[in-house]
Amino acid sequence: MKQSQSSWKLLILAALLPVLVLVAINVTGGWKNDFHPESFKRFGNAVLTSYVVMGIILIGNLFFYADSRHRPFAPFVGMMFALAVGILIAWALISNDDLLLEANSGLRAQMLSNVVHLLVSGTAMALASLLAIGVTFAMITGRERRVLFEEE
Amino acid sequence: MFINHNVAVHLMDSMLEAAIWFWIPLCLVPVGMWFSVSGKAKTAGKVIAAIGLVLVMISSWTVPSSDSTAGGHLLLSIVAPSLLLAYGVHGMIFGGNVPVGRLDSSARWSGSLAIFISLLIFCLMHWYSFTPLWRNEEINPYWIVFWPTFLLFSTSLCSVSAVALASYGENRLNESITLAILSVTMAGIALAAMIFDGYLTTSTEFRDYLWLAAADIFGTIVGISLAIAAFAIVIWAYENSLPLPENSPPPTEDEIEHVVALAKNHIGGDEE
Repeated sequence: MKQSQSSWKLLILAALLPVLVLVAINVTGGWKNDFHPESFKRFGNAVLTSYVVMGIILIGNLFFYADSRHRPFAPFVGMMFALAVGILIAWALISNDDLLLEANSGLRAQMLSNVVHLLVSGTAMALASLLAIGVTFAMITGRERRVLFEEE
Repeated sequence: MFINHNVAVHLMDSMLEAAIWFWIPLCLVPVGMWFSVSGKAKTAGKVIAAIGLVLVMISSWTVPSSDSTAGGHLLLSIVAPSLLLAYGVHGMIFGGNVPVGRLDSSARWSGSLAIFISLLIFCLMHWYSFTPLWRNEEINPYWIVFWPTFLLFSTSLCSVSAVALASYGENRLNESITLAILSVTMAGIALAAMIFDGYLTTSTEFRDYLWLAAADIFGTIVGISLAIAAFAIVIWAYENSLPLPENSPPPTEDEIEHVVALAKNHIGGDEE
């Protein structure tokens, strides 16, 4: 159990370390890039948009795969409520002064821009996953098959 | 008043055009995929998703006034290297020791070459004249979103894969080192973009967007995790609220006789 926990920690460290190294170089390099002032807004918008879009995808799954359970209504309503909370928080934070509004004219423009932004960054992440997971499997299948038993 | 009315009508028209040529096709993509994956209308679902995707990609021509179409234009710009990357990955995996669907061993070499060329094309899109241009021959604003996000995320994932292979796999050190080299290569490309100006973007812009890409990646992961957690809580609460299934009534005499006859038939071998 302990070994499994330490492996998880190692994996999280492996995921964070390259990003942290690049960001550290960005901060301490000769050009001295400070923390980007829009980073918090981007983080907030990314959290809310991905929450809402993922919620919609999960509601879609709930609808399309509910035949075997006789389409129960309660989880559908529950997820709609969870989604409404996400949209309400996004609406409140974007409308509130300058909290999450980036270089857009208003609430609607910011929300639509967030969706397109998620589409692009999601595509980038999907392609990166294709590369990393694909090469991992290619490495695994690339090795010669080991002989487990010698026939007599 | 007349001018205001005209402006309002023009705004309404452009919004309607954007909805018809960009947003509705964008919604059609997941709807088509749901139909296809759930098996309700496999072929129709694929066709709907494909039509939606094509309409989104060509939206910068069908509705040029909308700023959102820059996203569709970027998808169209990267479709060729992305397909090459997918082809390369497929060839590399299925050119190896797989039990089904095995390709010729040369597929591994052609696959690795395809991956190399696709990454080279992405690099040329940053440092050479392949940079995606959008309206008025200006750089697509989403290119500087896509490129650092792709580099950061692939660096991170390759590093995770390398560590996972070394710690969970048995005698996988060589494969782990190859993945670590790929991770360092992607980090090296990101570092080069931080130092050297691109064809139409400066290194300062890239360094600025590196922060935003990191914020984007962490934000997206947190948001997706929160949505999945909410979904799990909703399903758990619903399943907990269900009454326990009732006990089925005991078998009748006829049913018992039937089962005994079947069992005898299989165990006793009277018929042989």
